[in-house]
Amino acid sequence: MNLDYLKMSPPEKFWFNFKAFFRRLPSAFAAFFKAIPKKLYKIWLAFAGIFINVGKAAKNGDWKTRTSFGIMGFGLICRKQYLRGILYLFFEVLFILYLVFFGWKYLAKMGSLGEVARVEGRDPLTGIVTYTYYDNSLLILLYSLLTIFIIAAFVYMWYQNVKGNLLSQEFEEARINLPTAKDDVRSYANENYHKSLLAIPVLGLVVFTILPIFFMIFIAFTNYDKAHMPPAQLFQWTGIDNFVTVLGGGISANSKVFAFTFREVLLWTVIWAFFATFTNYILGMVVAILINKKGIKFKKLWRTILVITIAVPQFVSLMFMSQLLSDQGLINKLFEKWGLIDQAIPFLTDGTLAKITVIVVNIWIGIPYSMLICTGILMNIPADLYESARMDGASPFKAYMKITLPYMLHVTTPYLITQFIGNLNNFNVIFLLTGGEPSTLEMQFAGKTDLLITWLYKLTVSESQYGIASVIGLFTFVIVAVLSLILYNRSKSVKNEEEFM
Amino acid sequence: MADLSLKHIYKVYPNGTKAVNDFNMEIADKEFIVFVGPSGCGKSTTLRMIAGLEDISAGELKIGDLIVNDMEPKDRDIAMVFQNYALYPHMTIYENLAFSLRLRKLPKEELHNRVVNAAEILGLTEYLAKKPKEMSGGQRQRVALGRAIVREPKVMLLDEPLSNLDAKLRTQMRAEIAKLHSRLNTTFIYVTHDQVEAMTMGTRIVVMKDGFIKQIDTPKNLYNYPENKFVAGFIGTPQMNFFEGTLRKDADKVHIDFAYSNAQITVPYSMLYKVRPDYLDGKTPVYIGLRAEDVSVNSQKVKNSKSTVKVRISHKEELGSETLLYGDINMDGDGYSESSTRIIIKDDGNCDCKAGDVIDAALNMERVHLFDKQTEESVLPRLPEYNYLQCTVQNGIMNFYGQNTELPPAMRCADGEYGLLIPTDAISEGGDVAVNVKACEEINGKYLLSAELNGKMIYALVTRKITEDTLKLGIDLKKLTLIKDGEKVIEPMPAVNRFNGSFVKRKVKKTAEINGKTKTVKETEFLMALEDREFVVNDGLARKLFAALGVKKAFTTPLIIECGVYDIKLSDSGIHASAEGVLDYGNEKFLKCKIGENAVYLLTDKQYTGEVYIEPDFDKIGIIETQRDIRII
Amino acid sequence: MEKKKYRSKSVAERISLVLIYAILIIISLVWLIPFVLLVVFSFRGESVGISADYIFPKQWSFKNYITLFTETQFLTWYGNTLLVSVVVTVVQTVIVLMTSYALSRLRFKLRKPLMNIMLILGMFPGFLSMTAVYFVLKEINLTQNLFGLMLVYSASSAMQYYICKGFFDTIPKSLDEAARIDGASRHTVFVKIILPLAKPIIIYTVLTAFIAPWGEYMFSSFIMLGDTDKYTVAVGMKSWLDNAMLMSQGYFAVFCAAAVVVSIPITALFIWLQRYYVGGVTGGSVKG
Repeated sequence: MNLDYLKMSPPEKFWFNFKAFFRRLPSAFAAFFKAIPKKLYKIWLAFAGIFINVGKAAKNGDWKTRTSFGIMGFGLICRKQYLRGILYLFFEVLFILYLVFFGWKYLAKMGSLGEVARVEGRDPLTGIVTYTYYDNSLLILLYSLLTIFIIAAFVYMWYQNVKGNLLSQEFEEARINLPTAKDDVRSYANENYHKSLLAIPVLGLVVFTILPIFFMIFIAFTNYDKAHMPPAQLFQWTGIDNFVTVLGGGISANSKVFAFTFREVLLWTVIWAFFATFTNYILGMVVAILINKKGIKFKKLWRTILVITIAVPQFVSLMFMSQLLSDQGLINKLFEKWGLIDQAIPFLTDGTLAKITVIVVNIWIGIPYSMLICTGILMNIPADLYESARMDGASPFKAYMKITLPYMLHVTTPYLITQFIGNLNNFNVIFLLTGGEPSTLEMQFAGKTDLLITWLYKLTVSESQYGIASVIGLFTFVIVAVLSLILYNRSKSVKNEEEFM
Repeated sequence: MADLSLKHIYKVYPNGTKAVNDFNMEIADKEFIVFVGPSGCGKSTTLRMIAGLEDISAGELKIGDLIVNDMEPKDRDIAMVFQNYALYPHMTIYENLAFSLRLRKLPKEELHNRVVNAAEILGLTEYLAKKPKEMSGGQRQRVALGRAIVREPKVMLLDEPLSNLDAKLRTQMRAEIAKLHSRLNTTFIYVTHDQVEAMTMGTRIVVMKDGFIKQIDTPKNLYNYPENKFVAGFIGTPQMNFFEGTLRKDADKVHIDFAYSNAQITVPYSMLYKVRPDYLDGKTPVYIGLRAEDVSVNSQKVKNSKSTVKVRISHKEELGSETLLYGDINMDGDGYSESSTRIIIKDDGNCDCKAGDVIDAALNMERVHLFDKQTEESVLPRLPEYNYLQCTVQNGIMNFYGQNTELPPAMRCADGEYGLLIPTDAISEGGDVAVNVKACEEINGKYLLSAELNGKMIYALVTRKITEDTLKLGIDLKKLTLIKDGEKVIEPMPAVNRFNGSFVKRKVKKTAEINGKTKTVKETEFLMALEDREFVVNDGLARKLFAALGVKKAFTTPLIIECGVYDIKLSDSGIHASAEGVLDYGNEKFLKCKIGENAVYLLTDKQYTGEVYIEPDFDKIGIIETQRDIRII
Repeated sequence: MEKKKYRSKSVAERISLVLIYAILIIISLVWLIPFVLLVVFSFRGESVGISADYIFPKQWSFKNYITLFTETQFLTWYGNTLLVSVVVTVVQTVIVLMTSYALSRLRFKLRKPLMNIMLILGMFPGFLSMTAVYFVLKEINLTQNLFGLMLVYSASSAMQYYICKGFFDTIPKSLDEAARIDGASRHTVFVKIILPLAKPIIIYTVLTAFIAPWGEYMFSSFIMLGDTDKYTVAVGMKSWLDNAMLMSQGYFAVFCAAAVVVSIPITALFIWLQRYYVGGVTGGSVKG
């Protein structure tokens, strides 16, 4: 930032930044790649640290500590830290029992995902259907994944056990009193309180979010679909076949259609998210400014009218709207009756019109929210800003452009980003309004208004194309993650560069 | 109701910045201590370490007789008042006051009594049923004080408690806190950035800057005897005038030349007796500090004064009772910006000068402060470190001011004239140097004796208040320095030896009686590895190391061990060293040995040559951690 | 001269005010009319399909409400949704509060990584990972089971910590410190100091958690696939709309009646607690 820069007019500034961006690009790339070895080294250090610590425990540990390599918690029990020691031992026993009686069976078959298919037999006398022993690919994959997670957790636990035993040995040797069971328990209300608080939330996260995500990633590499449905059939590892299919590199005609569908749906998803976010935001802000304008009465009434519409469950308004707007719906019927139109306006059945309808209805749904948020922020803009702008001779419009808008944009950037991401995955509006329709033969299992998320829903729920769906899910994730990381970083840099006020 | 002891307290952040550096202080029971300094100086961090809200990186913190380093705040028996009051908004004032007592499960009756009592002391009785947000800032502050006093803590900690109040209320609350202190009879530690607050409230003040203690003293002494330019400038309004200049000694006069100006004054040398001679060469730059009230434009005073300078007045500030005159001793200076020629004069209002006038100002050189330009430390310290004398040596006899002393063998040197440096702590009572006592003042628990030896003023640190007129003094010869042509011919013997060391542990087998049976048990021993040997040390030392470094790092961190020359002895199991010779100071002899390149001195009684083995006394050692540069003991 | 200028400005201002009022009235109408229609349709006495070309019923009647409560499974669905809502609200509120407090007030090594992980997990299409959960639930016989739905709804509650943590961050840290000096453990600080101060955000969390299951369709339709006894209102009412035969029998009016019955308590709750909702939404959207 120098004086020359400050002198420039806005277009010049833009041009200057534009040039600077591309001039900086090579060095930024270089810096990025230069940073990689350092990062890797850091990761390596952290990783090596684990082995160093274990090595140290093996070298410096006394026989009690070394025994706890095999019998977890042994050293702790010997040093009278019964509670922790017994817990470690308990976990070890539990883990071994799990692995021997359950986990191992599945883990061993993970490579093939099962070989024995189900054979149906009918008892000739009773006519009862019986099955021979069979492998269930789905369960094999699921439980071996679970087992891997549990093994990872156990390894971590084992490492903590080694460290803990060594530390307790060191404390003993330093003749510092070891914490008693009572101290340990008490510490979970104090310095270890975060463990008490986060145990359940994090467990929920691991079991219901992280584990399924890994499951999904694995499924993407299998041929799990309608023709390979456990338990009746087995499915197999197929490598990157699904990825090839979705990207259009497959041999089947199917693959071309999939690739086309993916492109179309992705494009529409991004367009949708963009319009849905910004129309709502800008119109919401306009409404908020109108309501908050000096001299307008019944501010609370206007606001409440809009807020009520938030309270009515969205699915009700959406389904109701879909009925009103359908070809046989009230609006078309009324228009026909009044002689305004000869035939129904295809609000939801014409591809382009349906897209517009969806965005308009979304405005109707979304404005109350953005109005609420903008109102809150408008009230927070310091009044002296406007006063000083008026002293400087700014018209209300100028004041809006120079103060209100920049302030709002600055403050609401995180909101806009979350809204944008939310809209990328907005299931309800599309599914309940159009159901993704109108459908077309050009696309595989998708209609013209389908977003990635609704397409996914159809692929899994009605078409059972799990392998393909997982690939699309992964792509969706990558797109959303890349977009949002770029946006977050931009907003962070904006924040650091010019803190508003 | 307890004393506090802070020893080598450090706060080091993970990125290596030190917020607090080697904080040492003894706080007596019932003192009112104020930590003052600009923001970021570490005062609040120190307070929060005492409170237990911040970990202590190294050092030892004692409250009463207990080491509290690792104690939770609630177990330290302290109470704290926060800058933003930190009242619990959802509780009534009564509940706010009672909260800590409820957590301690006090009986209902006693709880009630204590709350009501505290409320009465602070005049809060009628507000007990209210919520904090219904009260004004001053009242909230009072509640915060009340919450602290209901607990009857050993120590009250106050973190800028008044900075959210307006000026008038602040003055009022200041008085109230002072009253509270005298009423409660407990130790107060008070943090503020406001020097006026510090000066009016503290019995002793700790001035801090950048994590270092700049000076600890009573308000009066801080004002009158600042030890460095920072304290001189920080304490007192208007700020002390600082001029750059040089001192040039000429017989029994000293000429003071002001830089960037023609001003020059001459004072008798007796006034600057305590200044180190190397500052009197007319070249070494110093800061000359004079407070506004020590400069006068009163015509009577100017007429009588021998040290006057010309000042061009630039503007005035009328304060009602007095007037501040701003001017410049450089006739081209503007008198507004803070420069090394700007001068502020406190006038009683009699001067009718106006802007642009050039007038004479009298400087009260009795009250001058001099600071080194680089280090900003005082070169006119209240407690001088050295006596700067001249001596002649002839045939091994040193003569100074009519005093003949035989130089011991260790100090033999060629005949001739020498400069002589005698540290003030090298002179003590009992000896053969007869002096006339001029004065004896107590400074921070030490007694500074000013005495005359055949017309030459010498200073000595003594152990008691001297009341006699004449006294016999002895000189510790091993601390003397003899200088010829700027070179140190005889250097004082180092008082401290340093060793490289590390802390180790070892398993040993011991026989012990357990339940009447003799058993062999393994036990860990702690050892200090010094150079090539290991010494068993006691658990107390080990504990201090563990506290500062942790049970793991204590054994991997390189240490430096310090040991006084009297605290080291010869021992068969000691460190291997080669004897280099004996330094004979007459009544004491010291053996000089070498361990590698490192010289070590120790008290000895006879001559040794060749191999010797030495061992420090581990009860008296000091330990420094080199990685973070932290003193542990 | 001066006066004239002043007056002309005032006229312009008045015109703009009138314009704004006009716009606001139009907006209000656009937003309210669909809901008015909804209510009006629910009282339609005659049974016509959706393709009626008039607004006001030819004959007003409570018939549709009676049908709703006697002939359909609506009450069951309503009960299902209510039960799920209440349980999810409790579980989610507790989990969100615990997570937010830990992330806002406690300092531990994995704090930042945990927050980043949750940010990234939030970008995953939740629906897909639910297929895996579905198979697990199926394996332990929890599909077509309300408990399974509760589990799914509350499983990733921790990721909703953001707004609540933002609120906790605004509570001065010195309150915690004062309480700790007063002798409180971190648990006591949480329960006795922070929670009482967090009333607005607790209400916000409860409100959003309670409302969510009423409008959720994706998960519930998937997990309850085919078992009409276990439907929530959203799935059930959608199943009417998808059933052409029912629609032709005038079930559209029944649908409207159901919608009114669903909306009333939630709208009432919402208007009652509107203040907290607005506070949470605006507070949460602003902090970055």
